[in-house]
Parts: sequence; structure tokens; C-alpha cells
Amino acid sequence: MRWIVIAAAVVFAGNALAAGEGDHGLEVNHLEAGSVSQADGLAAWSRIHDVVSHPRCANCHTDEANIPMWSGPEYETPGPHGMNINAGESRIGAEFLLCQTCHATSALPNTLPHAAPHAGSPWMLAPVEFVWFGQPENAICEQMRDPERNGGRDGDAMVEHILHDAELKAFITWAFDPGAGREAAPGTMQEHLDDTIQWVAAGMPCPGD
Amino acid sequence: MRLTVNRTPYDVDVEPEMPLLWVLRDELGLTGTKYGCGIAQCGACTVHMDGMAVRSCQIPAEAADGAEIVTIEGLGTPEALHAVQQAWIEHQVAQCGYCQSGQIMQAASLLDMNPDPSDEEIDRVMSGNLCRCGTYPRIRAAVKTAGAKMRGA
Amino acid sequence: MSRVGKIARRTFLVGSAMIAGGVAFGTYLVRSPHANPLLEGLDKGEATFNPWVKISRTGITLITPHADLGQGVASAQALLIAEEMDLEMDQFQVSFGEPAAAYYNRALAEESLPFLATDEGRIAESSRTIVSALLKPLGMQGTGGSSAMSDSFDKLREAGAVARETLKLAASRQTGVAISDLRTEAGAVYLPDGTAVPYTELAEAAAAVEPVTRVRLREPSEWRLIGKPTKRVDMVAKSTGTMTYGIDLAVEGMVYAAIRINPRQGGKLVRYDATEALEMRGVQKLVEITGGIAVIADNTWRAIRAAEAVEIEWGEAPYPAEQAQHWEAVAASFNEDHLDQRWRNDGDVDAVLGASGDVFEAEYRSPYVAHAPLEPLNAIVLVGDEFTDVWTGHQLPQLLQMQVSAITGHTSGNVRFHNQFVGGSFGHRLEIGFVEQAAEIAVQMRGTPVKLTYSREEDFAHDFPRHIAMGRGRGSVANGQVEAVDLSIAAPSVFASQFGRLGYSVPGPDLQIAAGAWNNPYLLPNFRMRAYRAPELAPVSSWRAVGAPGAGFIFDSFLDELIHKAGADPMEERIRLMEHEVSRKVLEAVAEMSSWGGELGSNKGRGVAFVESFGVPFAQVVEVTNTDQGIRIDRVWAACDTGTIIDPANFEGLVQGGIVWALGHAINCEITYADGMAEQSNYHAHQGMRMYQAPEIFVRGLENGHKTRGLGEPMVPPAAPALANAIFAATGKRIREMPFDKHIDFV
Repeated sequence: MRWIVIAAAVVFAGNALAAGEGDHGLEVNHLEAGSVSQADGLAAWSRIHDVVSHPRCANCHTDEANIPMWSGPEYETPGPHGMNINAGESRIGAEFLLCQTCHATSALPNTLPHAAPHAGSPWMLAPVEFVWFGQPENAICEQMRDPERNGGRDGDAMVEHILHDAELKAFITWAFDPGAGREAAPGTMQEHLDDTIQWVAAGMPCPGD
Repeated sequence: MRLTVNRTPYDVDVEPEMPLLWVLRDELGLTGTKYGCGIAQCGACTVHMDGMAVRSCQIPAEAADGAEIVTIEGLGTPEALHAVQQAWIEHQVAQCGYCQSGQIMQAASLLDMNPDPSDEEIDRVMSGNLCRCGTYPRIRAAVKTAGAKMRGA
Repeated sequence: MSRVGKIARRTFLVGSAMIAGGVAFGTYLVRSPHANPLLEGLDKGEATFNPWVKISRTGITLITPHADLGQGVASAQALLIAEEMDLEMDQFQVSFGEPAAAYYNRALAEESLPFLATDEGRIAESSRTIVSALLKPLGMQGTGGSSAMSDSFDKLREAGAVARETLKLAASRQTGVAISDLRTEAGAVYLPDGTAVPYTELAEAAAAVEPVTRVRLREPSEWRLIGKPTKRVDMVAKSTGTMTYGIDLAVEGMVYAAIRINPRQGGKLVRYDATEALEMRGVQKLVEITGGIAVIADNTWRAIRAAEAVEIEWGEAPYPAEQAQHWEAVAASFNEDHLDQRWRNDGDVDAVLGASGDVFEAEYRSPYVAHAPLEPLNAIVLVGDEFTDVWTGHQLPQLLQMQVSAITGHTSGNVRFHNQFVGGSFGHRLEIGFVEQAAEIAVQMRGTPVKLTYSREEDFAHDFPRHIAMGRGRGSVANGQVEAVDLSIAAPSVFASQFGRLGYSVPGPDLQIAAGAWNNPYLLPNFRMRAYRAPELAPVSSWRAVGAPGAGFIFDSFLDELIHKAGADPMEERIRLMEHEVSRKVLEAVAEMSSWGGELGSNKGRGVAFVESFGVPFAQVVEVTNTDQGIRIDRVWAACDTGTIIDPANFEGLVQGGIVWALGHAINCEITYADGMAEQSNYHAHQGMRMYQAPEIFVRGLENGHKTRGLGEPMVPPAAPALANAIFAATGKRIREMPFDKHIDFV
């Protein structure tokens, strides 16, 4: 089934730097729909889940409390972002303190240990529908394949999303190379792209199916 | 790169990754903006960039290219105090004073966006600014006074 | 420690005219006064009456020698002079002046004497007088120990009064009007017909008269400035980004330096490779200094970045590498071999506890914590032919001159120290290592000013934290009252560490192991307090209130536990035990302010604590709520007695700020060692309190004490125990170790 892609436009306050628009540097190996088995698709999903449930991703995919998390091997105990930070319903901190106050928009490498990380796209929480932190694997899977909750994306749009992120050196790219002593999400951007293409070609199977 | 600071344009030739904080302090000699931690934990380096409060220790120089920056020196002077600065003096907020440039810049930004903040809102916005002397009770009071001044109350 | 200052005949200098004379300073005068340091370098037409006042036709400068670290002493010293001199607070400039024996601190000696501050008996008083009379000729100038106001209160008022009366005398001579018909106001002498003669116009004439030596200090009822809320002289600059701290200074021709010193403090530099660093933009060279290296570059960021790019192999730490070993060493010190002093032995603790069938025991821990004021360490040093110039903020001017002169080869007197307003100290600016490093670099670049700036990471790595301490209490209760307290505290000696770094050995016991505990003014029927000296571990230094935050936490927590065991009310029992009237009134004040004993909501709890330090009795009540997200500190009531409250606005601000400081560290700060290095490298790992956690703080200052005391530190020690006591009241959980977040969550 093809879904109409609804482009979600989010207006950002602040300096919108066009960071390194250009080549995404990834190899896109399209697969025909249905050309991947259920088993292989689930295997691909499992690897995708390893990535999206990793602290580098899940820390900002939090629920309607709108609080980013500080978790991962760098933290003695996982907990909410310090300094009373709350990203608000806007998910960008517009109600209180903008995430971008401390998290710059820059594609330059992260080199300072313990500094506020930056990426090539304005820092913010993921939309509240994309809650992954502390969620069971199947719940995440169902959300990711549901156009009502994934920003209206079909398989092609998911692939596009990753490519666009690579062009900007934005959040997904950052997760695989966070620098500054933070543990990276497992695998590489290329592998994540390949797994996504594979999962889509398998019909986006979920473990609970 | 070219940046405008307190309405004056400057051409600077520095590494793209030099933090704006050090461009301001060392290259331009504007020392009102302070270095406290370098990792966005203290807020002493807060300036306004294109109307938004940012920690200048996190802004690489290349990201400030073409931007309009306002520092504490541009917010107000002893001869022409900003309402926030007037309130800070009225409430005798500062002790060592080192964090106060950043506190004032953040408070000015808060009141710009939200002229009548609640206690909760003040706590949410200002808690990124560290004060080792512990002047928080007076900062809270000064923010409210400044807000009233700015609303013409 | 310091050279004996030369006693010189006092002279007044106006341009090329010289007049000899002498000025008495009332009770603070040793027969021959110190030379007036303002006499050298007076411009034509400038006059000075005493070491604190300089007047010319164009303006008045008041010398406020104490280091201003944020506690407002520059303003307060000026206020004391201005009070008697009839100046308004905007009619003068302030200056730190030059280091001089005339600015010796007589009050510093008092806290180092083993007398209870509440002991105003003959022996205690005469010891204090002797020590201060000794210190005066040695000219030891220093800021610390909450002593600036004790040191200044009478002395600077007398300086102002002498100046005022001398100006009146000059006006009298000049106009023929009798002195008794003259009055002074707002910087001018007024003639009976209302004519105002500004002080600035009288300066030359005043320098020519015999200074007035007999002055009567005004009664409190006559005070114009003292006791009223004042606008501090530095407040506008600090609110507009125009206050220049040491880190902001630039000197013509300056280069920028950053250091790398072994984070295993005192360990060696084994080898280094600066290849990458030397190729970085703006980097000029690398020099070797004691304990490490320094990189020279053309701006601060480049210097720091390049220094961090030097690959270095560091040697081992001279102290145990792991934190657990530090605690073990302290714990192993509770024995005769390590007894430092038995400070108290009232009643018969052994007999009472021996006979008791129910001895209560508890152990407490107080960790290393960092100073970490917001302005990182920095200094500019220029080694010239004749002089060395040093620009930085420091609390011990003559010490700085001595240490720098040993490095640069100049005499102490030729080290010109330009003191600066400081962005926080809390004890950090008592250490001299960073200035020595800057001098070592500058000596290798003679004629070039060298600005050394520490990165925040280097500042944490080379902090000498508050000393670690453990306490063990044994006690008993009877008939609903506290019956016996046997308290032992073990800690390394902070003074041995601090003075040892300067090459001095300090004989005698270290009062700071016991301070805050041994000197409690309660009348406990049986009380023994013993201090045990642990071996030197990590190098440590005076942290705000020094020994009292740890020892005070230990003592008051233990007392609170006994009171609860006795079934008594924490406030009532403390008041019952408190015979010392001035201290009891402080407790009664917080009881009244907080309406102690009233109904609290569910999940709320209150704790009270009392600790006396630096002569200031201080009580606090803390109220907390045990919420789902953890403990929330709602309100604090604080009362203390400093004898005289000089500026109530500054007073309240300092108390509030110091309580925020203390509570923050008690909640979540500690410095721990791993592989010989401090594990905490920046504020993310040593947060303290943030705005959203700050409670409402209500402050009352009492003035029943006889002496004027200072207020830099005494609000710190009661906060942690009051909080622990409140948490116990709210949750039933007794926390005996700081930081408290090891045991309970905070909002």
C-alpha cells in the first residue's frame, strides 16, 4: 500500500544553518517490495531496534513529560536531563529554555568531553509519538511502521529520512559518531540504512505479528 | 568571517571551530562575557545570537558568521541600564558577580519571550545558569521586578 | 613567615614639601606605627593622613586592602571609613592598595588560638592581644577566616575619624573658625554660615597640620551608614559586565599560557611529546615548569587547546591512588598513635558510658569537595629588570610577594602586586601554586607579560579540596535528656598540607580537625571530644569554613540522634542545653522564626542544627517535603550573631548565598580519587545547587555579641546537619554521609 507522504513542517527558532547540504555519502541499494523474507526482515528489525533503543537515540525519544534523558555508560545512574530542563509541548524548549541555547547547530565534530552535544540540525526532542525510551521492542516497531504515528512516512520516506539526515550530518549521523567520549549506537549509518531498506522490503514485520 | 557585535561589524579570521566566547573575549576584547566551564554547564558565557540566548562557548565561530550578537556590554551600560540590570542593582544581586553577565543575558531573553513568568517558568529557564555564590533567591526577585518594569507596571 | 617591617618615622608628603609627624590610632596603635605605604608614589597635590585615605584636588581614594572575593569587603571597608569621615558612598574610589605591613590583619590570629570564641576570660583575651601585637610588627596581611570585619571594624573607623578631625583642623586654621563650630557632611567641612569647603580643597592644608590623634568613635545611635542597607560600590560594574576580573585583564605585549601539571598531585612528569601541539595555529612555544609544562600561544583558547594536545606520561601520585584507600587510612587513625588533641573532657564520659546499659554509636563521613569558584585560576606576571609585576586576585599579598620573589630573583618589596576583584574563592585564592607557575613561565620570557589561564578541567584537577573526615560518636541518654557524648573525629591536617606546600612545618595540633565540634557552647554534662590526625593523603586546603562543615555535621547529627533517642524535641533539648546566652538567643530566634513545633503537612519534616565557627553562633532550621521525585528543600530559617551588622543588605545576601552553597555541596558533591586523580573534571560532576532547588531562606541577624565578627563562612556548617535532621524527620531515614544523594533522591 502506498501512503501519501505528508511532509511535516516544523518551524525552528534561531539560526538555521544549512550545514553541509550535499552528498549524503551513502550507498542506496534498493530492494523490491516482498524480496526479503519475514525472517530476514525480523533480523533486520532487531538490528534497527538495537540502534533506536540505544541511549544516543532513545535519550531524546521520550514521552509526554517532555524531558530528555541522560542515560548510557557515561552516566552512573540514568536519570532526567539535569538543570531542570523541560522541552515543553513544543519539544524544542520554546515554553522554557530552548534546547538550542546550549546545543548548537553545527556539523563540526564533537570533541569536548561532557559538553552539550551538537549536530547539523537544530537540537530538539523527537515528536512525542516517537517515544522509544523505556518502551518494549514491539511497541517501538509498531510505532515506526504506523503512518499515523511516524510522521506519515512510508518505506521510501523512511529511507529518504536517513539520507537527508546524512546530508545535514544531523541526529542519526551523530548517534553513530557522537564523539567526546560518548558511546556510539551499534553499527554504522550505512548498515542502518541497509537494515531499513531490508525491513521495508520485508513488509516491516514486527516481532509481535 | 563577519559578525556584528553590539551593532558593530567585525571581520575575524580564526579557526572555524574557535568558540564564539573566545572570539568575543580575546579577538574583540569584549570581556563582559565570561568563561566558567566551556561545556555549557554554567551559562556564564551567555550572549544573544540573532535574538536568542545561547552559550557562546558552544557556538563555533563559523556558526556565528553573519550573525547579530548582543553581549552584556550591548544590553546596557552604567549610564544606560537595561531594566534587568536596574533590577539587579536594586536587589543587590551580585556577590562575586562572575556569573551575573550570563544570568542577566538569560533573564533578559526570558522576559523578552515571557514578560510575566511564573516561579516555575523562572526556575525552568534560569537553572542552566550556575551561581557558586548562591544568589538564586535574589535573582528570582530581580527577574520579577525586571518583568514588572518591562511591562510598565 | 614575613620579614619584620621597618618602623619608620611617619611623614606627610605634599609634592616636594615634607612634614614630619605622627598619628595615633587609639587602642590599635603599637607605639611605633607601620610606615604609611601611601607616602611613596604620592602625586603632587595628593595628601594622605593614614594608610587608608588619599586625597587630592580631583578626588578621594579609600584603600580597602582586604581581598574582595564576592563577600563585599571592599564596599564594607570603605563604608567603615566613610561612616566616620562623613563621606557618601559615591564620593570616592576604592583601591586594594599595595601590600604593606600597615594592613596587617590582627583578627586572623584569634581563630588560630585554642580558646573558645565564647571565652572572654582574662587568659583568652590576653593571649589574643599578645598574638595580635606580635603579628602587627610582622605585617601579616591577609583575608580569610571571616576576619575582615573583625580586623577592620574599629581600625578603619578610627582611620576615618582621624581623617575627618584633621580636615576640620585644617579648615579651622585656614578660616579662623573654631573647630567646635565646624561640622562635616557628605565630603565637605561646613562653616557656621553654611559655606561648604570640600575635602578635596583642604587636602594640601590638611597635610600641613599636626594630625588629630584623639578621636572619639561615634555611638551606634549616631551611625549614618552602618546598620543600613547599602548599595555596594561594585554592584553596578558587576551588573553591566564592566567589572574587570583578573581573567579579563590585558597587558600590552602579553602572551597567553596554559599549563598541564600532573593531575596526580605532586607526582612527576615522566615524558611528553609536544609535536602536534607546537604545530597548532598561534602556538609559539612550550616551556617546562615545576610539575609539568606550559604552552604559550596568541590567545587563551589556542593555548589551552594546544596544552591539551601535548601527549604526556605522568608519574604516580604520592598518596593512595584509590578513594577507598583514603577512607581506610582515615578509619585506621582512631587510636592513641594518631591522637592529635583531646580538646574537651567535661564530666566523666567513661564512667557514665561504662555504667550505661545502652550506649548509642554512630559513624559519619564528610568527603573531599572542590572549591571550584566560577572564575578559573589565572595570573599575569611580567618579570622586568627592576620589578616583577603580578596581576591576579589573592588573599595573602605578602606571601605572594615572597613566593614570586624567590622565583624571579627580585626582592619581595620589588614584586608589585596588583590585587583584583575575584570571581569567587571559598578558599581557592589562598593557594599560591598558580601564581608560582605563572612566575616560572614569565621568568623564561623576561620582559614579556605572561597571562596564565587555567581551563576549568585544570582548575578541578589541581584543586586542593576540603579535607576528608570521619566521625565516631558514642553517647547515652537518660530521663529524656542527653547525658553523655564521646566524639572522635579523624582527618588529615589541612594546615599541615597547606603550610607544608610553602615549606613550613606547623607545630601543634590542628584545630581544624575539631572546629565546629569541640567548641560547641552547649553545657553537656559529660562531653569528650578527641581529634585524631590521619596521615597526609591528597593535598588539601581551606574550604569555606574549613573544619567546621565536616566536624559540625558530625557533631550536630550525632547530637540530633541522641536527642531523638531520648524522646526529646530537637529544638527544646538544644535550647535547654545551651547556657551561653548569646548562642541560646540564636536558637530561640530560629525557633520563633520557623514557628517550630507547629503542625506540618504529611511528608514534611524539619531539622534544626547549631554550629559556632569563627566566633559566630549560627542556627538553622530546614524544612523539606518528601515528594515522589525525592526530597525537596522548601524553606530555611537562619539566625546568627555577629555582634554588629554592618550592612544588612549584604548580610542577608551572604547568609542566603552561603546556605545555598552549603546545601548544594551536602546534596551532591564529592571529589573522589581513582588512579591517583580526581575523577570530577567539571561542573557536570560537581553540581552544587541550581536555581530550581533553592529554598526560600529567611534571615535574622542578632547583635548581642560583644565583638564584631565576620560572615564569610559561619553560615556554612549548620546547613548540612540541619538538612540531614530534616530528612530524618520527614522520612525516618538517618543519613550519616555526605553527599546525601548517595542515599536519597532529591528533586
